[in-house]
Amino acid sequence: MKPVSAILTTLRVLFYSTFLITGIGIAGGSILVFQATKDLPKLPSPLSRIIETPQSLIYASDGQVLIGLGERQAVPLDMVSPDFLNAIVATEDHRFFEHSGINKLRIIKGLYVTLFKPGKIQGASTITQQLAKNLFFSFEKTWHRKFKELLVALQIEEANTKEEILEAYVNQIHFGAGAQGIEKAARTFFNKPAQELDLSEASLLAGLPKSPTQYNPFRHYEKALERRRIVLGRMVAAGYIDRETADQVDLTRPVLHKGRTDSRTGSYFLDALIRELISVYGEDVVYHGGIKVYSTLDPRLQSEAEASVRDGLDRLDKLIGLNQDSKEKTQAALVAIDTASGAVKAMVGGRDYYASEFNRAVDGRRQAGSGFKPFLYYAGFQKQGLQPASLYMDKPVSIPVAGAPDWAPKNFERQFRGPMILKQALISSVNTIAAQIVEIVGPDAVIDVAKNCGVKSPLNSVYSVALGTSDVTVLDMAASFSVFANLGVKRDPFLFWRVEDAMGRVVFERIINDRQVLERATAFQVVDMMAGVVEQGSGRSVRKLGFKRPAAGKTGTTDNYNDAWFTGFTPSLCTSVWTGFDKKKKLKDKRGVGITGGRGAAPIWTDFMLRAMKGEPERNFHVPENIRFETVDITTGCPPESQNTESLLEVPGFLRQILDLPKPQPEPPKELKTMTVAIKQGNVLCQEDNDDTHP
Amino acid sequence: MIQHWYASSTVGEWLKRSVSFLNLGVIILTLVIIVSEFRFDWCESLAGRYLMSTNDSRPEIGSIWETGRHTVNARQSLNQMILQRETLGRTARNADSFLDLTQGLGAGEWANLDKDRFRQLYLSLTPSHRHKLIEPARLIWLLNGSTTDRIFCEGRIGGVKIYFIDSGNRVIHQIDLENQALTSTTADPFFQGALEDIPGFSGSVYPADMFFQAVFRLPPDMMPDLIHDAETLLTRTGTIGRVGVWNTAEEGFIQLGFEFNQLGETRVVLIKAREWAVWQLSLALKGEDQ
Repeated sequence: MKPVSAILTTLRVLFYSTFLITGIGIAGGSILVFQATKDLPKLPSPLSRIIETPQSLIYASDGQVLIGLGERQAVPLDMVSPDFLNAIVATEDHRFFEHSGINKLRIIKGLYVTLFKPGKIQGASTITQQLAKNLFFSFEKTWHRKFKELLVALQIEEANTKEEILEAYVNQIHFGAGAQGIEKAARTFFNKPAQELDLSEASLLAGLPKSPTQYNPFRHYEKALERRRIVLGRMVAAGYIDRETADQVDLTRPVLHKGRTDSRTGSYFLDALIRELISVYGEDVVYHGGIKVYSTLDPRLQSEAEASVRDGLDRLDKLIGLNQDSKEKTQAALVAIDTASGAVKAMVGGRDYYASEFNRAVDGRRQAGSGFKPFLYYAGFQKQGLQPASLYMDKPVSIPVAGAPDWAPKNFERQFRGPMILKQALISSVNTIAAQIVEIVGPDAVIDVAKNCGVKSPLNSVYSVALGTSDVTVLDMAASFSVFANLGVKRDPFLFWRVEDAMGRVVFERIINDRQVLERATAFQVVDMMAGVVEQGSGRSVRKLGFKRPAAGKTGTTDNYNDAWFTGFTPSLCTSVWTGFDKKKKLKDKRGVGITGGRGAAPIWTDFMLRAMKGEPERNFHVPENIRFETVDITTGCPPESQNTESLLEVPGFLRQILDLPKPQPEPPKELKTMTVAIKQGNVLCQEDNDDTHP
Repeated sequence: MIQHWYASSTVGEWLKRSVSFLNLGVIILTLVIIVSEFRFDWCESLAGRYLMSTNDSRPEIGSIWETGRHTVNARQSLNQMILQRETLGRTARNADSFLDLTQGLGAGEWANLDKDRFRQLYLSLTPSHRHKLIEPARLIWLLNGSTTDRIFCEGRIGGVKIYFIDSGNRVIHQIDLENQALTSTTADPFFQGALEDIPGFSGSVYPADMFFQAVFRLPPDMMPDLIHDAETLLTRTGTIGRVGVWNTAEEGFIQLGFEFNQLGETRVVLIKAREWAVWQLSLALKGEDQ
């Protein structure tokens, strides 16, 4: 009898203990509820009131919408495909229409699994709890947060009908790829309204909220289909569809919309634009203000720019010998500016936005190399009265620098060519002559010209700045060269024309204000020299590749071939292209020969300009009234006949006239090299100081 | 009578006790509570109702409220910007003179001005000063030609910039107006502020009594050349505290600025005096100093 009695006593103790514990639990739970209530969030009424956020739209220059920002578009349940509603309920919470916010059986099961099956955690959130979590709480996994979420779920259930809860849920749920809410998800993945989703598409979407990244169909299509199979299975189990239908749907492969594939903009231009908008108006206005922004982006040019960069980099990779598996890939950046307004028409900030969002066009600063020389020559012309036919000697130079070793720049080809005019010096990108000019004008004069033209990057006041040793952006180069294209008129580069609020009231509009920052005729002289670069200099690959329109530009290659540039322009479009590696690494071909701006960047520039200018009327650079063209010997700076005549005659010209001597026939010149130069009124050709050339 | 509790000694007694009225009552009640909770969710409902009753007193916190706040902030910011633009637009439309315009637009503020308003402001200038603002031929082309789409004013420190803009938002002509120049070119000789605010008077400001004493020492026939018409000054209320003499002559005239004080406000009324009379006055003022 004793053992039976002991068992009975134990049972009795257990019974009362359970009873007591339950009582204490209820009391404790009540206290917890009262305590937690204090800092529970307030519930809006109705729930959908604060889900909707007006969408800010950014338009391209042709009126098409480039992107919508911060959109939360809520749709009523009757505007959502019933297949989707059935699928989401079956998958996420099949007892949704029966419980009061929490599923007690699932909680008990979840607790059991969590407590007694180490390493496994069983979730038990109902749709209402998920809604509470998404609306009010962070994704931090704590019991405290979970309890609050549960309480809010209870209130949501008490204050709203099941339809209202489901509507709020489907309108705020995250599907990945930047799509929040079923309407946006339907448009993002299938380019159709939520109402028109068929069972195949609806069940695919219903599987995404569990793990929007892992099941993102744009990236993991097969996984998304596997997940859809589970969704279909649950729909069968819940009685929404029969097995046969599920099997049929399982065989289908819904076609995804080829648009934006994630929440990122997918565009370097848009990133730069949004950043600028935020700096002016703040994040709230940009993402939640429902503003309309009319950008400068020309979709056709942008598409051509992307294609040119892609093709150019493929070509460059082959040249270097890189293959698909190479870890480090070449990069490129391109900016194209409409010279008539300063509007940025196209921008490419790298090889692949989705591989690297770093915008090399506006954030990447690299040395411009010889691309900086036009600023130097302009400064020399303005400050020292030099002109394109001024004669200089290409020779070893050594410039003393206070407190540092002498600066002795070398030519790219490591050789010296003797006397030559400045136009030839720019065409051949002769460093020793550039060094002689910067020695007399000073680095600050070069910096002043560059800054006046719109270079915003900080520039170091050292002699070598003339050879492009300061880091600049691609946008800097495109903007500053467009000042030359405009013959000294500066139009600041910009990314948007106009901003309106949701009601169409104008918040901002761009005014194009011309500023003459360079002297017109001198700017033309530099443009003429840069045209020589394209015709016969370091940028002649432009012509070889078939770009025949009037154009001017300058290549830039830094020491060790880390950077290869080409910035050039027609009278209407200025484009700068940079190529190189992200890490400072040499651009060398398979034979170990360095890749210059002419080989690396100019082909991309040419390809883009050929595409961009297609169908555009051909325009010549406007020649200022005070400019005349002269043909000069590139080694003397004098007109060829005068030099030959003077050199061949022993009798001075005036004496020959007096004596009425016959005009002597000059001997045919020996490999005479001449060149046409733009001479400004007041410039004197063949000056006496040419005799000894500039020291 | 004291009853001593003792443990059941037999199974029968234990069972008898187990099915006692009290025990059965407790068990049934417990079961009813549990079953009814599972069936009717009254516990959740009770908690939900309680929470609803406290809803209004709870804070608007959480991600969705944050988003809502962002939207409200954005709307407020945008409305503020629009309101400011409308206010500036009204200021530009209601300006009676270019001086009014420059005083109404702070640095960086801007407003559109219609052609008719610009025409009125231009005509409010003295004829001798109109051509200094813009050549008549150019103005006729800008205002009566088809190139100008609208006129845009942008405030800056010490003045205003006026842009004539074509339909492509391109500036076709720009006028820079300085406050200082405007005070000397405006037909309406009224300036809100003190003499120190007008750089043209710097170093030549005298107490009113000293000024008038010097005037009275001049020959009587010279006085009308200093103050030809008393109407401009007499129509202003307040007392004259100081008088300034403009630093430079223009077309034979030098401006005098009379600083009126009234109820803590200071205004300057400008009149033109003959250059030679002002030189005589200056000598008299210097004599007074001595």
